[in-house]
Parts: sequence; structure tokens; C-alpha cells
Amino acid sequence: MTWLADLRSSALVGTGRHAVPAPPAELELRPPDGLSREELLLDQAALADVVTRAARRPGIVDPARLPDAAPPDDAPPASAEAVRLLDLLLNQPPVGPELRTQLVTDWLQFAAASGRRVPHRLLPGLLDLADTRPAVAEHVDPAIGTRGRWLQGLRQKGAGPKGPAPKGSGPHPATTIDWAELGTADATAELERLRHTDPAAARDRLHAHWDTLSARERAAHLGAFAINIEPADEDLLENALDDKAKSVRDVAADLLDRLPGSARANRMAARLKPLLRTKGLLRKQFEIDLPPDPDAIALRDGIAPAPRTGEPDRLGRLDTIIRGAPLDVWTTVADRSTAATVAMLDGEPRVLDTIIATAALRADDEWVRALLDIRTDSRLLGCLPAAEREHALLRHIRSGTAQPMALVPLLRDLPRPWGAPLATAVLELVTAKNGGQLATMLSGFLPMALPPDTADQCRRLLQRSDDGAPGRRVFRDVVQYQSFRQSLTEAFQ
Amino acid sequence: MSFMGRWSEERVISAAPDASSLAAARKLAHPGPWSDTGSNDVLVWGKCQGSGKTPYQVSVDIAAPAYRCSCPSRKFPCKHALALLLLWARGEMADGGSETADFAEEWAAQRADRAAARERRQSEPQADPAAQAKRLADRLTLMDAGIADFARWLTDLVRTGLAAAHNQPYSWWDGVAGRLVDAQLPGLAEQVRAMGSDVHARADWADHLLSRTGRWWAMTKAWTRRDELTPTEFADLRVAVGWAVASAEVQSTEALPGPWLVLGAHRSDDGRLQQQRTWLRGPDGTVVVVLDFAAQGEALATPQLAGALLDVTLARYPGSPPQRAMFTSPIAPRGLAASLGEGCSIAQALEMESAAVALSPWRERHPVLFAGVRVCPGGPGWLRDGSGDAVPLVGAPVDSLLAITGSHPVHVFGELEDGSVRPLSVVVDGAVMTP
Repeated sequence: MTWLADLRSSALVGTGRHAVPAPPAELELRPPDGLSREELLLDQAALADVVTRAARRPGIVDPARLPDAAPPDDAPPASAEAVRLLDLLLNQPPVGPELRTQLVTDWLQFAAASGRRVPHRLLPGLLDLADTRPAVAEHVDPAIGTRGRWLQGLRQKGAGPKGPAPKGSGPHPATTIDWAELGTADATAELERLRHTDPAAARDRLHAHWDTLSARERAAHLGAFAINIEPADEDLLENALDDKAKSVRDVAADLLDRLPGSARANRMAARLKPLLRTKGLLRKQFEIDLPPDPDAIALRDGIAPAPRTGEPDRLGRLDTIIRGAPLDVWTTVADRSTAATVAMLDGEPRVLDTIIATAALRADDEWVRALLDIRTDSRLLGCLPAAEREHALLRHIRSGTAQPMALVPLLRDLPRPWGAPLATAVLELVTAKNGGQLATMLSGFLPMALPPDTADQCRRLLQRSDDGAPGRRVFRDVVQYQSFRQSLTEAFQ
Repeated sequence: MSFMGRWSEERVISAAPDASSLAAARKLAHPGPWSDTGSNDVLVWGKCQGSGKTPYQVSVDIAAPAYRCSCPSRKFPCKHALALLLLWARGEMADGGSETADFAEEWAAQRADRAAARERRQSEPQADPAAQAKRLADRLTLMDAGIADFARWLTDLVRTGLAAAHNQPYSWWDGVAGRLVDAQLPGLAEQVRAMGSDVHARADWADHLLSRTGRWWAMTKAWTRRDELTPTEFADLRVAVGWAVASAEVQSTEALPGPWLVLGAHRSDDGRLQQQRTWLRGPDGTVVVVLDFAAQGEALATPQLAGALLDVTLARYPGSPPQRAMFTSPIAPRGLAASLGEGCSIAQALEMESAAVALSPWRERHPVLFAGVRVCPGGPGWLRDGSGDAVPLVGAPVDSLLAITGSHPVHVFGELEDGSVRPLSVVVDGAVMTP
């Protein structure tokens, strides 16, 4: 071995500056006389090459890396046709990325329902897709079977401690380490996660650390309380109104806007009530005064102080008061039902808009419904329970007052598949003269959202539309999706 | 390869140059845009209405296979040819009867003319032995000078040291390779070019370059003393320097009967050239490799399925076993084998490699069938046999191997190369699979 090492250093440095070793005696080779140093080295390099290649020894695998062999699969593999379709989706997808993700997810669900599994050879491709598509990852089990879970285990082990943590299994790593040690962004993210599962624990944690945090951290962390906000948060928020930092006070005031039962809401109600009067012969209109300059308590509640120069924004102050006060101030003053009160506000667009924002923020069902009767607003529609939302959306599409683009996020969140009337209404919008942009925005989910019986309609639309026609791509996607899904249904029968 | 029968849809898919061509073809694969379609034993043809006035004329020779389309696409085969084949494979193509369309007929005739001309060119030199001898002498003179030049370069290389070479840009290596190409030593040139990137890509570049330098030096020595080599040894050296033997010289030398078992196949693409190696074993245990080449953008010969038994005759190129071979008759698949045979342990395989190196020091790849090896995950991954010996994997989809085998002991066929194995096929549950 020393001979090889010598040879190596000699070759690296060059024979011009380094002596050439003699071949090892064991090989019983004697170089011919009269060779130059270069020839001597090259001859030995040739010898070393052959000797190395002819003397390879088996390696040893670290026993710790040796996996246990996979236990046998108990579920039968999917039918040959189903396997062909999955292979196609994974390796030669005939559809775009969103449709592909959806169809793979469909495949997995069909397989799970029929007790079949993914064939072994397609597992790596599927798990790779699941790594980047959470929707697929969510449904791989149980369809991947015993072998798939075994392979998943190996992949996670192979990724090592630095690799991504397995999703949804075991405790989140951040809970085990000290929250106070996290960076601001991570700490906020962790607090948000905790708000989702245990709002009280999040509140206790922030409360315990409050005095040690910087203003920026206090504002950021407090923002997390928008998630699952509840009356018990009021004390913390009320205290935060006295914070040194304006950014923290602003966050606290915004959050208290969502708690109509809070002391601050009460104070706002007391400020709003004197500003409102009914007028007109039938008292069917509101007369709304502008608020006076704020006193110290009003300033603390977040009402804007007078600027150094120029006129104060009194309308802005009114907005702040409306947003902070309970909505029933309006019904009390009007002495009417919510619907009738809302009708009285029709002539006050700015006030109405603030009320809409407030009702949507608080998800106040009664007000949301009443407001939807006179205004189409995606913020309001988003507050309705899913079942009701589909009807409301349909109504608003039919009425033609809604700005179709604003409906896209709502349509995306609707449970699928949609009912036939909504499907028809949306298809009409897409095929309308300016539907192209809407079609593009809907293309990600429309194929999955339309009920199967609209496939024929889309096929007709597809045949009728020219190459450049708006929505053509969407119709094609719908037809492809539905027909592929049909093939899946048949393959799993 | 005369009568091929109707292609399967998978076969059409495998002919596609890329996924986007296939996707485009799927959109055209309905009868709508097609007219004047038809097929016979060797040709499929049709006209496809595109965006222009004149429909594109598409002809496919399913035997070769070869494709022709009047569209301007540089994809090969283009979406029109693929779409036509898809329709035909699905049986959805309107068949215009036995009358071959004019454009397809014309194309087929042109191809036949060209093939005949090529054959004439290849056989002509034999008519003039004097000219042939002169050409050979000229070539040898050129190669001798190239080898001498290369030997000088190697001497310079070790005088200034490999570390200095490591700092050279790629163009330096490319220049050396260019001179070798000019000296009609393309095989050597390819090795030098590969080294130009290996010295930067590989962690063990110093050992790699040292052993290659030694091997190149040995080649220059062997070349200058080629009169002392046996014909087999010289044939191996010819392959290493890249002096190809014309297939016409091999074609008629022998016709080894089958059935030939496809042990495994590998496709590679270095950006300039696509290569396909198909390892086969005959009834008497003879192992050969069939090589196919295609330039970038051209279609390689259809791959043979690992585990397939082929009724075909073969002729071997000169050289030491396992020899290169070529098919000399139409290929008729005769079913699938349930196993690849006995196999050996890892220690035995390495001993075999060592014997092969002694026999032919230029050969870098050795076919090997391992018995009862488990796939172990890891950086490159490993194969491990029952006695605990292991050999690292190279160029292997380890995930796929693990998924197929579940890390249970299986038979694996692969290429032993540089102390690692490139797995090409795996026997699982009575079926030969490609990882």
C-alpha cells in the first residue's frame, strides 16, 4: 500500500520534482534499464491499474444501515388496468399538474375503498409526488400497502435528522424545545399552530413571556390571536391597549373589534349611540353625526388623534367607532329588525361598507344574511356555512351584480362537486364574452368541482369553441378529468 | 425484422422523444383531423390537417422504425407521427384499404434506394483490393502518429504532475481529445474527454486519473507492439481505441441460433450520442452484448424486454468474451423467462472480474448475475449477499430497487464497473423486472 501511496504522490507532484518509487519486491518485477523517470512512473501506473482492478475485495455494509426486509403485503395489487392508469399519471401524465394531482388522489381513494394497493414498482414515483403535493401525501395511506409504508420508513430514515420531519406523525419538534429560544418568525408560527389546537395554552405562553419580548415580537405574536379569538382573550388585549408601542396597541385594537362583548366594544357603543338618530317621516333613514375630538380614553381605544396640521379625519374616526361597537347599537337606535335596519343604511355606502367589514370579521350570521340581501360581497359570502354559501353564490351570480373575479376564492372553497345549477351558472360566465380571464382563474379546480353530468355539456362546448376561444382549455380539462375518472371507476370495479 | 404486427400503445409511447411530444400527439389522436389513412405490413400512413391549408403527410415504417412527416417539427418522431401510431395502435384508424398512399409509397421507395446505395458503397471497396490496402496503410500511419503523440502527452502529464492537470480547464482536455479524433482514435478521445469532467466531478479524481493514465500508457505500448498480440487481443484493443469493425464484415461470419435470453439492457445519453447495450445469453451459456447507437434526436432501436426469450440469430464481433454481437435475422419474441439462471456470490463475481481484467485489461464492464442479494439503502446503495459481502451500486434507482425487492434476497443482473455494479434487471416472484 505504501508503494501505491508513493506512486500517487510522485504522480501528483510530477516526476520533475519527485522521485519515482521502485515497484514492490513481492511483485518480482524489475523494470528494464535505461527508462526515463516518466516511463518508469507510467509503467508502474499501468501495473497499479491492473493490480487494483484484479484485486478488488467485497465491501462491508454497516449493519446499522441494513434494513429489515419488508413484511408481506396483505392487500392484493390493483387491477392491471388500474395500474396502467396510475403508471400513466405518474410517468406520462396526459393532463396538467393540478388535474394530475387530483386524479392520483382519486386513484388512491378508489384503491383504498376497494382494498387494493399500489404495485411495488410504482411506489417510488408516487412517494416522490407525495413529497411535493400535500394532497397526494394525505391519501397515500392505506393504498401504498405494507411495502409502501416500509419504503416510507426507509426514506425518512435515509433523510436523516436533517431531513423534513414526517408530516402529522408525532409531536411537532418545536414543542419540545424552549419556545422563547425560537426566532421571531418561528415563534409566531409556533404560536399560530398552538392557537389552532389550544387557544388558552397559547394565551398562557404569550402572557408568561410578555415582559421579556421586544415591541416587534409582541406585535407579531399578538397577531396570532386572530386565530380562534375568544372572549377570554380580552384581558390580554385590553392590557395591550396600554402598550408602549403603537404597533402593539393597533394590533390589540384590531383584535378587540372582533369581540363585540368586550369592555372596549361597550365604550365604542357609548360613543356611537349619541351619533345616530333616525329621521324622515317614517323614520326610515339614519342621520349620522361625526364624532367629537377624542378624549384620553377614546385615544387609548384606538381613535385617531388630531393631526399636527390640517383637519382631523373625522370619517375615519367614525369608521373606527363603527368597527369597534356591537352591531346591535344600530338595531336598538332604529328599533327595527336587523333586515329593516340594514335597509335603512342603503343610502350610506361608506358606513355600510364598514358595517359589512365588521359583520364579516365577527362572522355575525344574522347581519351577514341581512347584508347579503342588499349587497354582494365576497367577505360576507365567505362567512356563510358551506351549504348555504353555494345557494348564496348562485343567487349572486344570477343577479349579475357580483364581480365574477371576486367569487373565485369562494368558488374554490365550496364543497365539491357543485350542484348542477351552480355548475351551469359558472359555465355560462366562463363562456360569456369576457370569460377568458375567469376561465384561467378557475382552471385549477373547475374540472374537479363540476358534477360528472356536466361532462357532456363541456364536450359540446369544447367542440363548438375555436382554438383561441376563452375557456377552451378549461372545457378540455373538464372533459379529460371526467373521462379519466370514468376510466378509474371502471378499472376499480 | 419484416413483419412486426400492430404496435401496442406502450410501444408507441416508448418511441416518443419527450413527454410534450406525446402530450401533443394525444390531442391529435382522434379521427377528426385525419384523412387518407391506411397501413400495410411495413407502413402506416395518413394526412393530418394542421393549422395550414395543406394537410401534413405522415408515413411511418414500423419495421425499421423510421418516420417521415411534412411538418416543420424538429422533434423526431413528431407529434403527427405519434398521433397516427396511437390511432393505429388503438385500432381507431380508418383503414383506406390496401392501396398505399402515393406519398408513403414514394418515401418508402426513396428509403429503399438509399439503403441500396449504402450497401453498394460498402461492398464497392472490396472490388479494389489495392485501394483498400492503401486506405488501411494510410489509416495505420495516422493512428501510429496519434498514438506516439498521445504517449508524449502522457509523459508530459506525469512530468508536470497530475495536480497541475487538475487545474486545467475543460478545453485543455478537449484539445487533446480533438487531436485523438483527428488521428482516428475516437475511443481514446472519448475517455480523455470524460476525464476532463471526471477530474472535477469525482472526489477520488487523483486515483482515477492515475489508474487511467496507467491504462492509457499500457494502450500506447500495446499498440506499438500490436504485431505480438493475438487476433482476439488486438480486437479488444481496436475497440478500446475506437476503431470500429464494420457490421458488414460481421454479418455473414456466423449465425448463432437462439433462443437468446435478454439479461438486461441499459440506455445512456451523453448529450451527443445515445447508446443502448443489450446483454443476451444463448442456450449454451454464451453471453454477448448488442450495441445500438443513435445520434441526438434520432430514435434508438426498440429496447428488448429483460427476461424475454428471443428467437433470433446472432453474429459476434471479434474480441474476447463476452463479445459484442449483432442480430442477423428478424427478432421473434418467444415468451418470458421466469428466472435468469443460477447466479453467483459477490466474492465469485469479483474473482471473475479479476480474471476478465487479466484476459482483457481494456474492458471496463463485466456482466454479472448475483444470486440471493439484498438491496441496502445508502448514498449509492449496496447489494449484500448471504455471506455478508457487499458491493456498491452505481447509477441505480435505489428507491425503485427497494420497492421492487422489499430488501428480500433476489437475483440481480448488472454490469460490474470500476468496483461498483449497475443493476439492470431483478428477478422477483418469478418475473424479470427492470428497476
